[in-house]
Amino acid sequence: MTLPDRRFAADAEAHRRDQPRHCPGCAGTLELTSEFWEGDERRFYCWCAACGWTGEITPTGPTATGHEPEH
Amino acid sequence: MLTAEQNDELTAVEAGTRMGEVLRRYWYPVAFAREMAEFPVKRVELLGEFFALWRSPSGRYGIIPEPCPHRKASMAYGVVEGEGLRCPYHGWKFDTEGACVDQPAEKDNTNFQGRVRATAGKVEELGGLIWAYVGPDPAPLLPRFDVYVMDGFRDIGWADIPCNYVQIMENAVDPHHVEHLHGRYFEFIGSHEGFTAPASFGKKHQRIGFDAFEYGIIKRRILSGASEDNDDWKVGHPLVFPYNMRVGGGGIHQMQIRVPINRTTTRFMLYTVHAPEGYEALEQPTVPDYEIPVFDENGQHVVNYVEGQDIMAWATQGPITDRTTEHLGRSDIGVSMLRKMFKQQMAAVEKGEDPLGTVREPHERIDLPCEKDKFHAGGAQFALDFCDMGSTRFSPMLDTIRKVHLSAAEQVGKDRAAGRESFTPVGGIGTATLEPGTDAQVDSGLVPR
Repeated sequence: MTLPDRRFAADAEAHRRDQPRHCPGCAGTLELTSEFWEGDERRFYCWCAACGWTGEITPTGPTATGHEPEH
Repeated sequence: MLTAEQNDELTAVEAGTRMGEVLRRYWYPVAFAREMAEFPVKRVELLGEFFALWRSPSGRYGIIPEPCPHRKASMAYGVVEGEGLRCPYHGWKFDTEGACVDQPAEKDNTNFQGRVRATAGKVEELGGLIWAYVGPDPAPLLPRFDVYVMDGFRDIGWADIPCNYVQIMENAVDPHHVEHLHGRYFEFIGSHEGFTAPASFGKKHQRIGFDAFEYGIIKRRILSGASEDNDDWKVGHPLVFPYNMRVGGGGIHQMQIRVPINRTTTRFMLYTVHAPEGYEALEQPTVPDYEIPVFDENGQHVVNYVEGQDIMAWATQGPITDRTTEHLGRSDIGVSMLRKMFKQQMAAVEKGEDPLGTVREPHERIDLPCEKDKFHAGGAQFALDFCDMGSTRFSPMLDTIRKVHLSAAEQVGKDRAAGRESFTPVGGIGTATLEPGTDAQVDSGLVPR
């Protein structure tokens, strides 16, 4: 394989540490957890082979962001 | 981003690996009919294994693993004899079913022959290509995709690319690269080399979408100046799982084939059919093939044509791109969708099911969706850009291909003046594959740019 890019070793380690492991639908082992970024957010595109669940999981940390639409 | 283990699993092609077992459920082009007519035996590398392919005088084909079951000498140096292939070392002979039918130095009345069966694959000829299936029985049918059976003038460009096929397939679900790699970058190279890059390739993406379907993933885009009514969105074109992409426009139909030769080598083939409205049939006793350039004399990628730019982008990611340190964005959602499809097929094969796109129903032709008005550039303009700016410019048939398109346009003019309809070869689904006002399964939404 191509040599790992050492500039982003921390991202690779964070991925290994933080990737979701269990399906939110059936608690089975997630077959796919492909990570991508959107703005500041790290998102995981996931698929469960056991129940077919597909979805994105976004870790929020302790703070969840709300919103206040115009009204 | 994936873990190293996930990347390893995804990019494997070898027998006994999860992905390798999926790949062994499909047919692959392994030779040109032309080359087997010139010499009837060929050493073939496919999915990390070597095989001996042969053509008998009666036109039957056989394929068996390269090592002779006797003492492992190469059957690719074998002697074609009757319908079979005889080992050059001690003369053991195998038929197209893999049965050992002769052991010249052994006694006749033993069951030794029955113990040394070669594992034969299946071989068929279609569209000027020789196709092989080397997976488990029962073999599926060879899919007769439209490009291989439709009327039109054909040629096949090819090159061996020093990288894993998955990073090439991920490019097939990456619409945005077109406006940069074939737009801005092409313009940059053109400004230094003294040519004008085609303007249609630089149009900005406003919306991208993907739909899984029975043969893979349909890719859609809306470019600036276009809408849902344009072919690029409502028809789109497909990644044909697991190793092809069907493209075209302007009377050109093409299958981009990416055969996993081994884990870090991919045979890239551009199977092209020129079939414009007004096409007048030309005789083609054989389908010509030609090698397209990857590197120049200085070892630099040749980047002044469309596919050369793609090859540069695929190969410079490395033999197997390091997905543990990639940084996908939201615009790469098609890549994630494809990874899911690969995983789904690994699971299906493990359950004993056929993977996506396996064909078992007899059929005359499988039409694939493909836009006709590519990049809303106008048919003739796209065809000319295709000839001048793509791999076709290296084809020994370039002059003939230009004439095909020019005489077809002339014929359409005559037909219109005479009030009659022009002949157009049938192939591909050019009608909408998505209802107006409907979102694709994966859809970016409209971002005006």
